[in-house]
Amino acid sequence: MAMRRQSVVLGLLLTPVTLFLGVFFLLPLCIIAVFSFLTPGLYGGVEWAFYHWNYGRIFGWADGIIEIFEPIYLQILLRSLSFAALTVMLTLILCYPVAFWVSRLSDRWRLVFMFLITLPFFCSLIVRLYAWLLILKPTGLFNTVLLATGIIDQPLEILFTPTAVVLGMVYVMVPFMFLPLYAAIDNLDRAQIEASLDLGATRRQTFLKVVLPQTLPGIMGGAVIVFIPSVGNFIVPDVLGGAKGLMIGNLVEQQFLSSRNWPFGSALSMIIMTVVLTVLLVGMTRARKAGGHA
Amino acid sequence: MRNPWGWAGLTAFSLLFFVFIYAPLFVIIGYSFNSNPVNMMIWESFTFDWYSGLLGLSDRTTDVSNRAAYIESTDQMLAALRTSLTVAAFTTTISTVIGTATAIALARYRFRLRGLYNGFLMLPMMMPDIVLGIGLLIFFVTLGMNLSLLTIIIGHCTFLTSYVFIIVQARMAGLDPALEEASADLGASEWVTLRKVLLPQLAPGILGGALLAFVISMDDLVITYFVSGTGDTTLPVFIFGMIRRGVKPEINAIATLLILASVVIAALGLWLRSRRTD
Repeated sequence: MAMRRQSVVLGLLLTPVTLFLGVFFLLPLCIIAVFSFLTPGLYGGVEWAFYHWNYGRIFGWADGIIEIFEPIYLQILLRSLSFAALTVMLTLILCYPVAFWVSRLSDRWRLVFMFLITLPFFCSLIVRLYAWLLILKPTGLFNTVLLATGIIDQPLEILFTPTAVVLGMVYVMVPFMFLPLYAAIDNLDRAQIEASLDLGATRRQTFLKVVLPQTLPGIMGGAVIVFIPSVGNFIVPDVLGGAKGLMIGNLVEQQFLSSRNWPFGSALSMIIMTVVLTVLLVGMTRARKAGGHA
Repeated sequence: MRNPWGWAGLTAFSLLFFVFIYAPLFVIIGYSFNSNPVNMMIWESFTFDWYSGLLGLSDRTTDVSNRAAYIESTDQMLAALRTSLTVAAFTTTISTVIGTATAIALARYRFRLRGLYNGFLMLPMMMPDIVLGIGLLIFFVTLGMNLSLLTIIIGHCTFLTSYVFIIVQARMAGLDPALEEASADLGASEWVTLRKVLLPQLAPGILGGALLAFVISMDDLVITYFVSGTGDTTLPVFIFGMIRRGVKPEINAIATLLILASVVIAALGLWLRSRRTD
């Protein structure tokens, strides 16, 4: 490698990113941390005085006088975590067999299907969610088809339920799970699979003992990449979820754009950030361990 | 796969998977040609009205009683498209320059904080956009900055720089450093080597990164939603607002056009990539 000593050029190359991300990325994150400990003003502003009830309201040490503890916030946090976990599991179950199938296709067809899986990346997120709004409406495609075929006699209420939110998130996240999985499955050592089968292992044993461990880094990578944007998502529950599908991202949005309680919204964001950083750290260490060489 | 039945099952499952991915998009496209303004599910007849209505060419609107309001919303949509394109153009330029410079610095120089930079540059991509959005909102408001096109551009650049960085870095990894060494040995200065030897080789990677930045910027909803002023709405925010107010056939026409645009851009990306490997 042509590694050179530090120089003026290095300084020139690094100054923009350092300044830009320092000021417009790190500083805003620090400001959220500070704001989460400030006192909400009466009419939407903030007072620069230390205040820990923002977290007390969420985790239960509110005194009942200044701020009231409402278990709903913890419930919504738990719901966000479980929706995100469910999204990870469902995308994994959907993508694993398909990634396996694509990796066994001839070169030409593999190219076609890889293009088809990456195309949604280029397609507007809000448009893709809107499609599900059309499909799940009481008068939408899904209900119309089921009613017409006589499977149901009443339209199903799917839109504005948790089911719709998870369905929407799975739909949006599928490509993010697929690509790391595919990379891992494509790298499988086929000789090992052959050897395992030749030596008398059943297909099930071969899958559990040979295929699964080798693709574990891909699974972990996909899980992290899907979990993180899911947990703080507010667009999907906003478009497809009702009151029962509300997630922590929606709470944050409300605090900033309607309730105007910025310190409380900041405290909620700090929780999202903590969850994300924890998942990122754990996921990366696990992936490294599982991969060995990775 | 030795078991033909297993392979057939797998094939069926996979094809269903692709139906699941694409069916919703075709539903929108189909609805966009249905002339029924009340219930899109009931097919009335084939029409281009929603498309010509978008361009202000047709009298047919869902809001017949209030045509003035409708024309205004068409103008708003075109304004939103202009805003999106302006933001994406600036964002792509800025993030491509910064991201490329960073990728070169981290791949070609050894310095103490290199590992830290490598890790740190992953963070803007992994940080949930809602956190980044409200962080920037508080930051701009605390500084007394007006929310405007500028704040949207800054917001987009914070995370798109990292995307460009990743793409260009991948390209850097495939380059032969011997060419640069030769250039240096033959007496070219660091700066000349960078401009005449390194940048031309990097061009496909830079172009790929810029394309990705452009596409993501055009599609960003969450960050724009928080850091845009009342006057500057981008297309995704505009559509989001329309959907919140209620579903109308015009949305199908806009959505279909966006789907078409994404197919064109994806094909362009594929073509670029195939050229790169030649």
